[in-house]
Amino acid sequence: MGVTIFAIVVTLAAYLGTRYLYMRYRHPLLNVVALSAALIIAVLVAARIPYSQYVPAKDFMTALLGPATVGLAVPLYRHRGLLLRFGPAILGSVVLGAFLAMMTASLMTQWGGLPRDVVMSMLPKGVSIPFAVEIARIYNGIPALTAAFVVATGTLGSLLGGWLLTLVRIDDPVARGLALGTVSHGQGTATALMEGELQGAMAGLAMILSGIFTAGLAPLAVWLLGLMA
Amino acid sequence: MTQTLKALGQLALLWAIYLGGNWLVAAAGLPIPGNVVGVLALFSLLCLGVVKLSHVELAADFLLKHLVFFFVPIAVGLMEWGGVFYDYGLVLAAAILVSAVLPLLAVGGLSQLLRRGRG
Repeated sequence: MGVTIFAIVVTLAAYLGTRYLYMRYRHPLLNVVALSAALIIAVLVAARIPYSQYVPAKDFMTALLGPATVGLAVPLYRHRGLLLRFGPAILGSVVLGAFLAMMTASLMTQWGGLPRDVVMSMLPKGVSIPFAVEIARIYNGIPALTAAFVVATGTLGSLLGGWLLTLVRIDDPVARGLALGTVSHGQGTATALMEGELQGAMAGLAMILSGIFTAGLAPLAVWLLGLMA
Repeated sequence: MTQTLKALGQLALLWAIYLGGNWLVAAAGLPIPGNVVGVLALFSLLCLGVVKLSHVELAADFLLKHLVFFFVPIAVGLMEWGGVFYDYGLVLAAAILVSAVLPLLAVGGLSQLLRRGRG
């Protein structure tokens, strides 16, 4: 009980501290999830608390993740006008992007000789953590690894995404928002928001939709992966 | 106080939809996450007007503002998996790089093309 309360206090402090830093400097490398987790792991190691003793605190704190994820329908509904207006561009490109991200990530790790649970943890890493973790779980992936891959992808996309898109002359605000949101989910959405409101809204839509499409296409991707083993 | 009560009521509604999604997926044996079904269900209910935005937005906006908080305890699980990065770091880095850059350009390129096509 004492350990659990300690773990919750440490987690809250790490989250609020890194969130304050991010809000102040808004730099993609100041990632709240990665920095908080590193701080918490450092404290747990220093205090000689094994991960198994952190699990009750984790279960308590993530109890609201399910209803919070369902709440993503609210921004989706608020932007339904954009959804209708840019329907073909959104559907076509996000479906393609979600499928490509899944196939390239899992094929490369499969060919690289990684164990199947790591490959399955990599498969859904292009989408927001609540969807990615649940998709990984269905195929016996490891949720913590998936979370790490999701954060790495998001950080990469928000650091380089805007620059890369400019390099190949993709300047349409809708296209830029969709690309950033599909590939680097929430972190890409934050970057897109800094470019402009339309970019941010498109990225937010793409983030949620790519989660849904990735979930729907995952059975197909896993089947194809089996053929190419 | 009434705001807090209202938010709690809305949270209960979100939770019920989430549990409903999980139940449906389990009952039908579908290989998709219950939370995805939950999002689609709430979106449909909003579109049909069965649920109004004012019935859920207080709780939803608060939870979404702090959505990242819930990811932190999940990421702490990495303390058991450090060795994977040590053993396979290069393959993992390459896979993450390629699977980020390729779809980024594909999505950007295709959506720009589809937008231009419509004039």
